[in-house]
Amino acid sequence: MAGSAGGEVIMMANVSEKKDGSLLLAIETSCDETSAAVVRGGREVLSNIVSSQIETHRRFGGVVPEIASRKHVESITVIIQEALTEAGVSRQAIDAVAVTQGPGLIGALLVGVVAAKALALALDVPLIGTHHIAGHIYANRLVGDIVYPALALVVSGGHTELVLLPEEGVFKIIGRTRDDAVGEAYDKVARALSFPYPGGPHVDKLAHQAEEEIVLPRAWLEDDSYDFSFSGLKSAVLAEINRTKMKGLEPSFGALARGFQSSVVDVVTTKAMRAAAEFGARQLLLCGGVAANRGIRERLAALCGEAGLPMLVPPMSLCSDNAAMIGAAADLKWRRGQFSSLDLAASAQVSLEAWSVTL
Amino acid sequence: MTLTDNRTAGENPLMLCFDTSTAVLAASVCRGAEVLASRHSHAERNHAVRIVSDLKALLKEAGVGEVDAIAVGQGPGSYTGVRIGVSAAKTLAWAWDKPLVGLSSLETLAMAAGPYLRGEKQAAEADPFAARLTGQPVWIVPIMDARRGQVYGARFETADGSVWRRLDEDAIRLIGDWGSALAASAAEAGAQLAFVGEIGPHAAALAALEGAVALPLTIDAGEMGELAAERLAQGLVDDVHRFAPNYTQLTEAETKLGDGARTEGQA
Ligand SMILES: [Zn+2]
Repeated sequence: MAGSAGGEVIMMANVSEKKDGSLLLAIETSCDETSAAVVRGGREVLSNIVSSQIETHRRFGGVVPEIASRKHVESITVIIQEALTEAGVSRQAIDAVAVTQGPGLIGALLVGVVAAKALALALDVPLIGTHHIAGHIYANRLVGDIVYPALALVVSGGHTELVLLPEEGVFKIIGRTRDDAVGEAYDKVARALSFPYPGGPHVDKLAHQAEEEIVLPRAWLEDDSYDFSFSGLKSAVLAEINRTKMKGLEPSFGALARGFQSSVVDVVTTKAMRAAAEFGARQLLLCGGVAANRGIRERLAALCGEAGLPMLVPPMSLCSDNAAMIGAAADLKWRRGQFSSLDLAASAQVSLEAWSVTL
Repeated sequence: MTLTDNRTAGENPLMLCFDTSTAVLAASVCRGAEVLASRHSHAERNHAVRIVSDLKALLKEAGVGEVDAIAVGQGPGSYTGVRIGVSAAKTLAWAWDKPLVGLSSLETLAMAAGPYLRGEKQAAEADPFAARLTGQPVWIVPIMDARRGQVYGARFETADGSVWRRLDEDAIRLIGDWGSALAASAAEAGAQLAFVGEIGPHAAALAALEGAVALPLTIDAGEMGELAAERLAQGLVDDVHRFAPNYTQLTEAETKLGDGARTEGQA
């Protein structure tokens, strides 16, 4: 078992007396942000340092994995040090080290995982390999109480998922994208509309300013499906641009942005509300980097209001990739004494459901 | 960046040494040049999984709780491999607040030829090293495959395998051109030319070189102790936070972007 990928080792350490005041040092390096945080009791963020590489990658029109990995190595100990300093906590006070084990860019994940393992060895504390998406979902626990069963809508540059949490720490994926993630679709459309990388937020803004809308198709898929598909919509935007140009006219980027946003928002929020009703969710959790998107956020809030369903959404700083959310999710395992072995493997693909706590 | 550090770790510092730049996960615990324990596992692609638990087991085997310094292979070599070792070393050095010594992985590889030169180990390919008895200098050229006919390489000169002098910096080079140039200058200088390391992928190119020998060797972490102790004695340690691998080249994306990418990469 110890040698298996991400091999979970159950060690029922005597952690009960520190249950509430536990200090977790969390590390996140799954993509182009190097982040470290100190989180107390899975709820209280003492520090959350995020070093973004976006300026570096902008020149390449997207994240270059090799460069992301190089930057992580250069800044990893600086960021960890800053997280402790800002939290006013010494190395020796840390109870456990949490780290994103996946999913993400493998070379980027490796840096964080190796650093976290070295730290666990050096400080002689437990290691908690943590699922990135569980982190996004549990970022909500940093802002409020989660009521179960809860339904999470995860929207980011790499993910679009509907996740049911029947109880604390248990994840069931009921819908996911079959092609592009929402954030990916936004960035691709942004490129077609001549916005610089990353262009998603520009499309959101333009859609709000536009007075006209070019109606674009909605990909509902099968009647009972909670899955998503955005590549057809992206193609529809490109086709519309080409068609207009062929006629010798200038395409209206505003009307296209609004049409694109309407289609995405319509499909994503409708499916989320239908799933919440079907599974009897008592709360809706919106999370992931694209949760900052006004279109999605406003419509979902309105629909939840109509349905009398409480909705939680973290502030922007906890929606984009950050280590505090990893600390929040790792607390699930900390309280149950479910730790990882020092042979923990970083993995580009790792199952969220399998990461559920052991009941 | 190298700093001078006044935490001189004593006459015979206790050091945890490791290198993950090649297919071998090499680690040792040394007291000065003396090797207290070492392990070499050949599980390629598994370095990130095994590194920390291997180090833990090694410390236990050596009966050591805390070390005076950390020494790590800084590359060149596999990008991912070097990052694994460097990330582990930086974090350990920071967490334990101990000096960090970065060593050239190519220099460590070259040192693996030492025992053959000193006559402590024998191999048919190493027979020409007997030339050392005539006072002929030996050029040890450690190489690692860098694909597309390229190698990461350097050049060291030694007379008897105990005193070494670096002649060429670590760099990525085309083995065809560089090999012929080295063979020509070795002939001129009257030096015995010996390629060591990852010979396999370049066997044909090396066999074509007149007067050169090729000895397939892998990194021996036991050789790192002496190299690291020398640097520590001189107070030459690295800045933990700024320590980074020596890749010897830009990424492909940066090369394509041209010079504009170079300066900003330092930011
Ligand atoms: Zn994310």
